[in-house]
Amino acid sequence: MYDLVIVGGGPAGVAAGVYAARKRIKTLLITYDYGGQSMVSPDVQNWIGIVSISGLELAEVLEKHLKTYAADVLEMKEGVHATKIDQLKKADEPAGPLFRVTCDDGFSCEGRAIILTAGSSRRKLQVKGAEEFDNKGIVYCASCDAPLFKDKDVVVIGGGNAGLEAAEQLIAYAKSIHVLEFGTEFKGDPVTRERVFANPKVTPHTNAETVEVKGDKFVTALVWKDRVTGEAHELSVQGVFVEIGSIPNSDMVKGLCEMNKYGEVIIDHKTSRTSVEGIWAAGDITDQPYKQNNISMGEAVIALEDVYLWIRARK
Amino acid sequence: MQVKIYTTPSCVYCKATKAFFQQNNVEYEEVDVTRNEAALKDMVDKSGQMGVPVIEIDGKIVIGYDKPKLSELLNIQP
Repeated sequence: MYDLVIVGGGPAGVAAGVYAARKRIKTLLITYDYGGQSMVSPDVQNWIGIVSISGLELAEVLEKHLKTYAADVLEMKEGVHATKIDQLKKADEPAGPLFRVTCDDGFSCEGRAIILTAGSSRRKLQVKGAEEFDNKGIVYCASCDAPLFKDKDVVVIGGGNAGLEAAEQLIAYAKSIHVLEFGTEFKGDPVTRERVFANPKVTPHTNAETVEVKGDKFVTALVWKDRVTGEAHELSVQGVFVEIGSIPNSDMVKGLCEMNKYGEVIIDHKTSRTSVEGIWAAGDITDQPYKQNNISMGEAVIALEDVYLWIRARK
Repeated sequence: MQVKIYTTPSCVYCKATKAFFQQNNVEYEEVDVTRNEAALKDMVDKSGQMGVPVIEIDGKIVIGYDKPKLSELLNIQP
C-alpha cells in the first residue's frame, strides 16, 4: 500500500513525483512513458527556462529528474496504462480513504491518496473514411510522417498550434498544403500563423468542416464544407494531417470524480482537489482551460503540497 | 534474427524503438525512407500502410512502437 499513487508521467505527474520524493512520501508513479503529449513535438519553445528543446529530449530530462530523487521512497510502474480507480474506503470511514488503481496488464495497487495527472489523448477524425484510411494517408503524427509526403498535396485539419506546426513541417516536403479550421478564426499563436501563412504553398481556410476522406487503397481526396455558404469543396490530396485537439483520459474516474461536459475532471484550483476527498488532479485532465505544460506542473505541485499537509493533518 | 526498421529522421517513435533495441542488445538495420524511395515503396507494400516506424523481424511486420509485440518476437522478457 502506498501513501500516494500518481497516475501519469507527463510534466504534471513528474512534478508531483519530484516533490513527493523530496518530501519522502511513500509513492508509486504509474505511467506508460514519460514526457506527456509534448513528446511528439519537434520543438518546444515555451518551456520556461529553455529556449528550444525537442519533445523527446524533454521527456528524457523529466524522467531523469524524477529518477534522480526517487531514492527508496518513490517507485515507478512503467509501460502500463491505468484503466480504473475504485474507492475502497471513504475519507470519513476508519482508516479511510483508500483507493485501488488497476492497470491494463492486470497490475493493481492501493493508495491512501491519488494525484491524477493522466492528461489527454488525441481526438480522432470521425467522418466517413476516417477509420478506413487511418495510416493510409491519414496521419496523427506530423513529425513522424511529414517527410513521407514529398512533392504531394496534403491537407491539415486543425488551426491550433499543433495544426500550424504540422503545416510548418510539411512546407519542407509537400507540394501544397491546405489548412482547415472549423471555427471562424485560427487559434494558434499569431507569430506562428504569420510565419506559416506567408509561405506560398500554404492556403488557410476558416469555417471549414471536414465531411469525408476518400480514396482507394490510400487517401486520394478530402471533401470539406464551407460552414457559412454551405458550399462543398473537394481537394485532391494524398495526405490528411489531423490536429483537432484532445480528449481527457478521465474514463478511469467516471462515476467517481465530478466532471464537466467535456469529461474534464473538475478541481478546486486553489488546492487541485477533485470532488472526492483523497483524490487530486492536475494538468490537461482537469477543467483548467489553458492546456499548457507550465501550468500543469504548477497545478501538480499545488496538489502535492496539499497532499503533504493533508497526510500530516490525518496522523 | 534479422531485424530491420524503417524510419524517418524526426520520428519520435522510431527513436523510441531504436532505444528499446539498444537497451536489449538487439542488432538492427535502419532504413531511412526519406533517403530511399524504393525502400519507402517496399515498406508501404509490406505493411499496407504509410506510417513509420515499420519493423521487420525475420519477415514478420510490426507497425509502430508496439513494445509488447516486439518483446514477443525478440524473446525479450519484461
